[in-house]
Amino acid sequence: MDHSASRTFLARPKFLDDLIRTFGNVTFGVALLALWGVLTIIGVVVEQGKDPASYFASYPAPIARAIVRLDFNDIYHSVWYLASVGLVLASMTTATFTKVIPRRLPPHRAVKIDAMPLHATVRVAGDEASVRARIERFFASRGWKITKRDIDGTQWSFADRFNWARIGVLVNHLAILIIASGTIVYWASGYSGETAIMTGDTAQIPQNHDLVRLDGFSYDVKPVMTKSGIVYQPIDYVSRVTVVRHDGIPTPMVVRVNHPIDLDGTLLYQASYGFGMRFAVSHDGVSVTSLGRRTLVEGDAMQIPGTAQSVVYERFVPTVDRRTKMPSPDPRISDPAVILAVLDGGQAIGEVLAPLGAPLDLGNGWSVTPVSDVIYSGFQYRYDPGVPLVAAGAILLLVGLVISFYFLPARLHVRVDSAEDGACTVGLAATTVKGYDIFESQFQELVSALRGAEGVER
Amino acid sequence: MHPMALDGVLMILALSAYAVGAVALVAYFLSREDWLRNFGASLAVIGCAAQFAQLGARYAETHIWPLLNLYGSLSLFAAMSVAIFIGFAFRYRLWFAGGFVLAIAAVFLAYGVTWDEGVMPAVPSLQSYWAKIHVPLVVSSYGAFLVSFVFSLLYLVKYYGERHFATRRVRISAATAAGPVVPPFEVARSARYGTDDDGVNPALRDTPALAAAVSEGSAVAGWLATLPSLAQLDILVYRAVSIGLPLLTLGVITGAAWAHEAWGAYWQWDPKETAALASWILYAAYMHLHTRNAWRGMRCSWWSVVAFLSIIFCYLGVNIWISGLHSYKV
Ligand code: HEM
Repeated sequence: MDHSASRTFLARPKFLDDLIRTFGNVTFGVALLALWGVLTIIGVVVEQGKDPASYFASYPAPIARAIVRLDFNDIYHSVWYLASVGLVLASMTTATFTKVIPRRLPPHRAVKIDAMPLHATVRVAGDEASVRARIERFFASRGWKITKRDIDGTQWSFADRFNWARIGVLVNHLAILIIASGTIVYWASGYSGETAIMTGDTAQIPQNHDLVRLDGFSYDVKPVMTKSGIVYQPIDYVSRVTVVRHDGIPTPMVVRVNHPIDLDGTLLYQASYGFGMRFAVSHDGVSVTSLGRRTLVEGDAMQIPGTAQSVVYERFVPTVDRRTKMPSPDPRISDPAVILAVLDGGQAIGEVLAPLGAPLDLGNGWSVTPVSDVIYSGFQYRYDPGVPLVAAGAILLLVGLVISFYFLPARLHVRVDSAEDGACTVGLAATTVKGYDIFESQFQELVSALRGAEGVER
Repeated sequence: MHPMALDGVLMILALSAYAVGAVALVAYFLSREDWLRNFGASLAVIGCAAQFAQLGARYAETHIWPLLNLYGSLSLFAAMSVAIFIGFAFRYRLWFAGGFVLAIAAVFLAYGVTWDEGVMPAVPSLQSYWAKIHVPLVVSSYGAFLVSFVFSLLYLVKYYGERHFATRRVRISAATAAGPVVPPFEVARSARYGTDDDGVNPALRDTPALAAAVSEGSAVAGWLATLPSLAQLDILVYRAVSIGLPLLTLGVITGAAWAHEAWGAYWQWDPKETAALASWILYAAYMHLHTRNAWRGMRCSWWSVVAFLSIIFCYLGVNIWISGLHSYKV
């Protein structure tokens, strides 16, 4: 029970007092951490961001219902998750003020040496003052900092080691709060989005109005022979763009994976690529130019006028295998085709692999010809003013962990009493911030060194 | 010799050194014959060195950072587990635990070999210097956690051994109303310190029932008596976690820095990074529990066992069952 802490709270209503005591309790904090961990794991096991129907397809109905109702399909943005993180932060902060600060910086106090779990008594020849001076020199020469106190008429010497490291916990907890505040900065004033740009087209970042024109996109693929067959390993994705930033000057730049570009603080990333397709449509041999003007992207549909039919551009096939006449897994373009689905009244009636330039007869005088492909590049953009805070918090967290785990603050309580025969008994007791076990062997080494010192008896 | 052949030879050398070393050190664990310890320890060092040479040979041959697939990463995991263990074993004289570490490392290494796809250039997102920093850090943290896991198991074995002998003793003394008085287990915990040489085997100071059973000639108790005291085992678990947690933290941070460069956000809630976060939370919780007297020891050891299972889930479970940005599958 921490008396200094409870005294501070005397003036508060009891429920607040109880609340603070609960939140400051380490076991309660650990329970919250465990809750946070469990929610985090649920998000790993339950695939995130799918539509509700797909959960009903892969789980028994009651579980699927629970997943959807409890927002486990988007758990990291759910009330539960945010609340668990919020409670962890609240508990951590409360514990820092009520427990860590008062307990980690303890005053120099008298102790009953024999009652301390780590203690030893040695006899040293000499009078009280000289023995005390020798003992203090012994510890000071080993890097211990000596403090003397007169407590109720008894002279005490205290030897401290790594006292500064008592702030390790504070550093850790502060670091976590800094990281949390960095993420809040993003929620409050950052943004992100995706955009796909066809070769030759220009897109605008809506939030900062910068312009990006795709001059060209290329990809590099290497066929690799592995034990399980040929694998087409992507090696590079390169977008050549011209950007117009706030300064109004068109600037050519290159965007590659792992090499985003900076658009007035918003970073633009290479994310994906794909193929747009232009089609020629004709009816009774006459070209219908109004239908052929649009460039379709994978998944787009084209309605055939005056019929219930539509044609869906499903997928671009860069290379058709000459032997099997099936799509080859080789993503390099050499013999391109498209996969088209034909729908009638919304019902799929067939799927065809149509080589570029070959007309597809739809009946009733209509035909569709895939004419030419246009490559597009998919970009991700993000403005995150919280990054410097998160980075600073992360570095501080590491520093804090190293302090907490590798510099153990310990205190020796030393009391010298004169005994008979012109000798003194020296009582030693050790305390650390992490209990006694962890210091036991070092304490024993210290005591043996002291016993081996000149003029000291067992 | 052709470099790829060298690669294969080193791998076989490492695997056999671990396998034989594991047997030797388990035999040492049971018999305490010094020559078995020396033999097993040498094999651990040889196997570990062969592993690092193997990774180096692979890099020299292919000029591809060898850790970017499950084969390479499992291989480094085995090597780092053994390396970290060797450090502990030298410092705290813990070779008796080496058999378990070597056996687990050998299993992971052999499993990693089944994922060997041959030489494969890195996909664009993996072509980053962050990858070269991130993967070794994370995998080393797993190695440290493996060591803490083995110490936790040894703690639990000794703990439940003590419990077993304590309850048996209570039963016997109730039946015969005789026999030496043994303090109840929980009381014994607080009575174990002292700097005076009182003739008590330090490894048995906090396990009085075991100490009594040893003096009565029980073989099992004699064998448990060769393990360090419960308090020391608990501290060993704590020290191994103290290596693992900062490494994992640094691993998550470098992963975030890499994601910031490659994917447009330092945190994406990708299954892999999320699973690593869950393990990180569990080990942070372990550290807090370890500051409580009532939790130190048995409960903390169980916690560390569960936390290590979460590491295995994060490492292999996520790669194998759950697809995401980090999945190694082609
Ligand atoms: C649930 C909220 C939390 C509470 C209630 C809490 C409370 C505490 C308390 C009271 C201590 C001092 C223990 C003692 O020496 O008696 C401590 C230590 C510590 N805390 Fe927290 N904390 C929380 C969250 C965190 C988080 C998220 C981290 C991030 C890593 C963290 C890092 C640490 C570290 C490294 C120590 C030192 C442990 C050691 O010395 O072994 N804490 N915490």
